[in-house]
Amino acid sequence: MTWIPYKRSWDGIDSTGHNVNAGLLEKDRNLYTIRAVPLTDVHSIHRHAPPLGWQYVIVVLSSGLAHPPLYFYNGGVREFLATIKQHVSLLRSRDDANVFLVNDLQDPLQKSLSSLELPRAVPGSNGTALHSSISSSFSNETPGRLNDATVDGKSTTTEYNGKQKQKFNDPARDISIQVLEKFSLVTKFARETTSQLFRESHHDSSNSYERMQWMNSGSINMASIEPTIKQKVPDENPATLDSLQVDKLSLVWGKARQSPLNYVEWATFLDSEGRVKDSEALRKRIFYGGVENNLRKEVWRILLGYHAYDSTYAEREYLASVKKSEYDVIKSQWQSISPSQAKRFTKFRERRGLIEKDVVRTDRSFTYYDGDDNQNVTLLHDILLTYSFYNFDLGYCQGMSDLLSPILFVMENESEAFWSFVALMERLGPNFNRDQNGMHSQLFALSKLVELLDSPLHNYLKQADCLNYFFCFRWILIQFKREFEYEQVMYLWEVFWTHYLSEHFHLYVCVAILKRYSRKIIGEQMDFDTLLKFINELSGHIDLDGIIRDAEALCVCAGENGEACIPPGTPPSLPIEAESMYLPQDDDL
Amino acid sequence: MATTATKSVNAKLVLLGDVGAGKSSLVLRFVKGQFIDFQESTIGAAFFSQTIAVNDATVKFEIWDTAGQERYHSLAPMYYRGAAAAIVVYDITNPISFTRAKKWVQELQAQGNTNMIMALAGNKSDLLDARKVTAEATQTYAEENNLFFMETSAKSATNVNEIFYEIAKRLPRAQPVQNPVGMVLMDRPVERTAGASCCS
Repeated sequence: MTWIPYKRSWDGIDSTGHNVNAGLLEKDRNLYTIRAVPLTDVHSIHRHAPPLGWQYVIVVLSSGLAHPPLYFYNGGVREFLATIKQHVSLLRSRDDANVFLVNDLQDPLQKSLSSLELPRAVPGSNGTALHSSISSSFSNETPGRLNDATVDGKSTTTEYNGKQKQKFNDPARDISIQVLEKFSLVTKFARETTSQLFRESHHDSSNSYERMQWMNSGSINMASIEPTIKQKVPDENPATLDSLQVDKLSLVWGKARQSPLNYVEWATFLDSEGRVKDSEALRKRIFYGGVENNLRKEVWRILLGYHAYDSTYAEREYLASVKKSEYDVIKSQWQSISPSQAKRFTKFRERRGLIEKDVVRTDRSFTYYDGDDNQNVTLLHDILLTYSFYNFDLGYCQGMSDLLSPILFVMENESEAFWSFVALMERLGPNFNRDQNGMHSQLFALSKLVELLDSPLHNYLKQADCLNYFFCFRWILIQFKREFEYEQVMYLWEVFWTHYLSEHFHLYVCVAILKRYSRKIIGEQMDFDTLLKFINELSGHIDLDGIIRDAEALCVCAGENGEACIPPGTPPSLPIEAESMYLPQDDDL
Repeated sequence: MATTATKSVNAKLVLLGDVGAGKSSLVLRFVKGQFIDFQESTIGAAFFSQTIAVNDATVKFEIWDTAGQERYHSLAPMYYRGAAAAIVVYDITNPISFTRAKKWVQELQAQGNTNMIMALAGNKSDLLDARKVTAEATQTYAEENNLFFMETSAKSATNVNEIFYEIAKRLPRAQPVQNPVGMVLMDRPVERTAGASCCS
């Protein structure tokens, strides 16, 4: 079988195709292509039909290697399996109805049973007929198909699908493919990490008591996970699956935090020319311990994507000098506006005024920014105003000064701070969109994650009409900047920026905090006002290490179901659309 | 829009106004008696409550403090919906903030809650030398629009408690009702409290 993403060509009986998309990166294509794998090498095919999002299958080879997920955004999994079945014996695993074993003929009884499983899907006996049926399901332009494939009768998902529909009504279907690819990248990380954690937990059982305690305390709510599983496999014996799930969960507990990465250890991650040898290992290391402060300058620029992981010392130095000149040019654009020109340039004056108002009240109690005529406050101002010229459509928005402040503190250099901020805003810019879509998609994803991971809280919030999750607005908009001490914020941010377990780890942190106070919120019957007050007042009182560990455990437990809660393109994922996404408005500064 | 028990009124109040006009500072002064020179910007919204005694009753204000930037405008209705009172704040040293205040007044008038008590606060009255908006001009505007107007200073605590007291006095008084402990106002008080209160 062959799987070629983005190509609408049917060059083999079992290949599936997508639209050609010129805008996609070659490496993405390579990542998701399966090149001519003999079916004899395939061990099993795992079907995933999350209650939210698209169905996908994962092909596992006899060697144990698993390919990245193959997404079916318009349905077609059934047909795909039916086609495979034309060529090899395919039977359902007794343990998991979503696992189809290929070439496993050990149990003749199972074989005969499995042959009863897929009769509806096969429209004809020859390959050609199948082709047309599958390709039509792939190229079908009717948005309804998406719903058919994903909703599965679950009413709560309609909102999500409605949203997606709107998004993908765009004639460029390619966008949705890109979305899927971004999406699958995320789930791939999650899956790999899950298996890694499971492996590790075999070696390290010292935490088992703690884990048991945690399980007993009901931190992970089994009831909330069960229905999801049952839904996926309505016609199977749920008891087997539940016990499997328990088994999985009992292995998982967020690992103890390590000491921050220091200079000596950092050097071991680099080759002689300064390239990061193994970015995954580095990201993992930082995820579990953060970075020592004196090293942040160097590491943050890489984590943020300003410098590439595989750049050399020389390349980074060169880029810094080029970018310094570039920064000076952009800065000179507003510096050259004369007072008489400014008088006739309301938008500029207003934008500058807004920035002036905010920088003088950003972290002024922190030594680096305190006192009268503090030069660093001036730098905050200059960088933000320059950014509002660099990204004129987005401009300046309250909250940005909070995001810039630690970056300038770490970089201690105007141009470097600017470009690091630019890199951060590539991901967080949509948080500040006028239509709030970046925030809405994150708050929506959060509500879905809570539904999955803490159903009693979800049910309570639903009944209290608090499902908009606006009480978490500040957490998400500025990445918990106001919730922790300065040093802790820097530590938490570098954990986020590793994108190690998930690009959306911050959402799991939200869930972890809410989960800690779940009983209190429900017990005291907090309404929206009280809840917002309560959440705002948690600032400074959250046990960060404990929360990160909880969030890690939740993220791993939720696995693909969790990632399926997060609409593709949700910040801080890189934006989907290539063109400008910030639509300026008349009144907008 | 106030719900009452025996001599006790709960009133939702929202603060609206331009960036840096002093919304949070007014609340902080009223609720905690404090003033911070560099009060950080409000992200999203903040919620406070404060109870005061007025004449024969106590009024518990449930105060929503909002973010000032135009960009966050779309969130505002969530906070002013169902409010019994609003304080629209501007900075007397900043004419743009006064223009913006007038827009807020318009919006509140347009959203149709005729019972809402609206106050206009010209804040930073301690900065007399920098004044750009005269009290006379604002007074005229306030009378035309049926608002009551005060110049305030969160920094020097001038007229801060007064403006809240003035609002409390103007809140509709209801007869004691069946519910002796009062109830918390939600976002949709019209339907929910119709049977229990008198907001006419």
